[in-house]
Amino acid sequence: MGMAIESMELNEVETLEGHTDRVWSLDWNPATGHSGIPLLFASSSGDKTVRVWEQNTLSSNRFTCKAVLDETHTRTVRSCAWSPSGKLLATASFDATTALWENVGGEFECVSTLEGHENEVKSVCWNASGNLLATCSRDKSVWIWEVQQGNDVECVSVLQGHTQDVKMVKWHPTMDVLFSCSYDNTIKVWADEGESDDWQCVQTLGEPNKGHTSTVWSISFNASGNKMVTCSDDLTLKVWETENIELQSAGEFAPWRHLYTLTDYHDRTIFSVHWSREGILASGAADNAIRLFVDNNESEVDGPMFKLLLKKEKAHDMDINCVQWSPGEKPLLASASDDGTIKVWELAS
Amino acid sequence: MSDKFSAALRIGDLNDFIAPSQACIVSLKGSKTNTFKSDNKPQVSIAKKQVQSEPVKISLKDCLACSGCVTSAETVMLEKQSLDEFLSNVDKGKAVIVSLSPQSRASLAVHFDISPLQVFKKLTRFFKSLGVKAVFDTSCSRDLTLVESCMEFMARYRQNQLVDDERSKSSLPMIASACPGWVCYAEKQLGSFVLPNISKVKSPQQTIGTIIKHYLCQDMGVRPEEVYHVTVMPCYDKKLEAARDDFVFQLGSHDEGHGSDVNMISEVDSVLTTGEVLELIQLKDVDFKSLEEDPLDRLLTNINEEGYLYGVRGSSGGYAETIFRYAAKTLFGRQIDGPLNFRNIRNSDFQEVTLEVEGKTVLRFALCYGFRNLQNVVRKLKTGKCDYHFLEIMACPSGCLNGGGQIKPKTGQSPKELSQLLETVYMENVWEAEPFDNPTVRDLYDKWLEQPGSEKAQRFMHTQYHPVEKSITSQLQNW
Repeated sequence: MGMAIESMELNEVETLEGHTDRVWSLDWNPATGHSGIPLLFASSSGDKTVRVWEQNTLSSNRFTCKAVLDETHTRTVRSCAWSPSGKLLATASFDATTALWENVGGEFECVSTLEGHENEVKSVCWNASGNLLATCSRDKSVWIWEVQQGNDVECVSVLQGHTQDVKMVKWHPTMDVLFSCSYDNTIKVWADEGESDDWQCVQTLGEPNKGHTSTVWSISFNASGNKMVTCSDDLTLKVWETENIELQSAGEFAPWRHLYTLTDYHDRTIFSVHWSREGILASGAADNAIRLFVDNNESEVDGPMFKLLLKKEKAHDMDINCVQWSPGEKPLLASASDDGTIKVWELAS
Repeated sequence: MSDKFSAALRIGDLNDFIAPSQACIVSLKGSKTNTFKSDNKPQVSIAKKQVQSEPVKISLKDCLACSGCVTSAETVMLEKQSLDEFLSNVDKGKAVIVSLSPQSRASLAVHFDISPLQVFKKLTRFFKSLGVKAVFDTSCSRDLTLVESCMEFMARYRQNQLVDDERSKSSLPMIASACPGWVCYAEKQLGSFVLPNISKVKSPQQTIGTIIKHYLCQDMGVRPEEVYHVTVMPCYDKKLEAARDDFVFQLGSHDEGHGSDVNMISEVDSVLTTGEVLELIQLKDVDFKSLEEDPLDRLLTNINEEGYLYGVRGSSGGYAETIFRYAAKTLFGRQIDGPLNFRNIRNSDFQEVTLEVEGKTVLRFALCYGFRNLQNVVRKLKTGKCDYHFLEIMACPSGCLNGGGQIKPKTGQSPKELSQLLETVYMENVWEAEPFDNPTVRDLYDKWLEQPGSEKAQRFMHTQYHPVEKSITSQLQNW
């Protein structure tokens, strides 16, 4: 960050209303925000619907609700995720199903429903090449699905290992390695190792590894994929790193280790964290505030590795459940809250 | 829920996140006590319960009837119960009969590095030294299960071919019923849509129980309540199977599962896992490897005149293979010699075999092991895209040899290495033999069950399945 970071501000671009219950998650479509395509994101809510929002023009500060995806999920839609190509949207619901949606001539059609979890599905995520989906649930299991031609979906693996509710699944940004975090306070790493033909847990990051001491809510990777950040009910953000992620492609597993803990910044549960391609960490928490952190590269050897860039108090009226940076050259930040709104923010100096 | 049960059972019963007590009919102690934010806001606050110091007793029957869970505490209790109960029944002077599964035989053979036949003979010695009256072999009853399964398949196939209505369509695929983890999962999670497809024929465990308690006792002039029948199985879920109401009958009548608890006879009184038998051997401080070998009890054991064990190929019971051969021969006049040509579909736990007649696929059978493959088959069944005639579904990856009750790999041994070793050892000293030719099975038909597929055979050898209604509490919990 070459700029004078002390003077940065997080300015509200727009407040988006429409959901009639708390907004749980949002996901920017990765195929938008560049090549002249206006930004687009989906949001999911306790009102059992998913809304799709589109920027009016690429440089505009106005977003319009383009679609409401309803009458499919019968309970809260907890999470949503666009495929890497931006063509499919996966939505995970407390009704124990995950739905796949395809944009067919401007209309979103539910093209497949994934059943199998015993109860609430908490999170859904696509791998980098878009052929694998991961889901996790209150039933403590993590499932991997393969999306085949014609949107046919098959279960590839059912992974047991967490001892409590699994809050989020996240694929590594380049490798087919899966991460999950749970109410059991751990982060688990899953890989398809050569020896057997099934996926298995290759690492558990818990308290003995300087891990979290309470529920881990969210995971995000840096742009190169050699670091990840996790946030927790223990009021900390933790940064983890791996030596050589490329080892993974050679069938070897590169273990992750604790690098740094951002402590004393939050006094309520941190529900969401997202790492921008430019290296800015955004956190959303139960204190209704958004915080941004940056690499403290001027620091002395023993100094903090990250420092607070800014804290946006009262960003929302209630808990912030999700924060995510947009794709594109000048990323916007979007936040989803229990107050039923989504806000879009611009970082300006 | 203990991780010893199969994945299918675990996934089907995982409801103890908030607390088991919400879905369970019996209140249990201790859930996680720290406060948490549930995703399911607004959160209903649950009053903290007093931690109970007395262990709460839940029978397996309670668990089968409930859509809640079995927690690890009870599982530990159950395990203890089995060994203790076994020993106390031997001491009580009951006529204890042990029926040993061929998968358990293989597991012990690998563990002690001796042959399965030696294991069988040494175990006979060991059990008899404890006071057990007889040790039998469930590959013998399995042959009866297989014969009846062939009959059922033929009936289902013909029904499917003859009539063209929805009801008849549901007669196929037929699904093997030997895996209690799968049956329990189907009853609790899948409900009525898949249950009609599950074979009505009892598993080898329950078949040998039926033979012993309904026929053998009478034949030998022993009262069934004087017999304590224990099976040795590769699988914890078999304990749940033995506890089903369907496998309990009242003396003097054939109204199974009804009436008071007085004089209720269980086909199988207790199930020990292979691991528990090893524990028992260690508990008794026996040097198993150098233990003397007793002759086998031939009455219900697949052993021929020359002293060789015999049985079908297929370490999960050979259901698909046996029925495929029988159907090919009976329906299409094709005698298939040598091993069947199973092809991997997705992975080695999902294999398919087909029969082509005049360029048309007339039989399509599959082996489907492990929860992930089971899910895909269920998905196909639900969407009506399942074109199989028969499915050998087993909840455990690699099937029954890898059951949760088997002896764990030794230090430095990978599960895969162990699994390959078990596959090799499984058919060691075992001659491949056709179930229809089994002299014990023939004898049972001649003296008791009349003909394969007869009304009498069905009365004794068939069972039924019951969709478990979700309790209101479990529905509320999953609201």
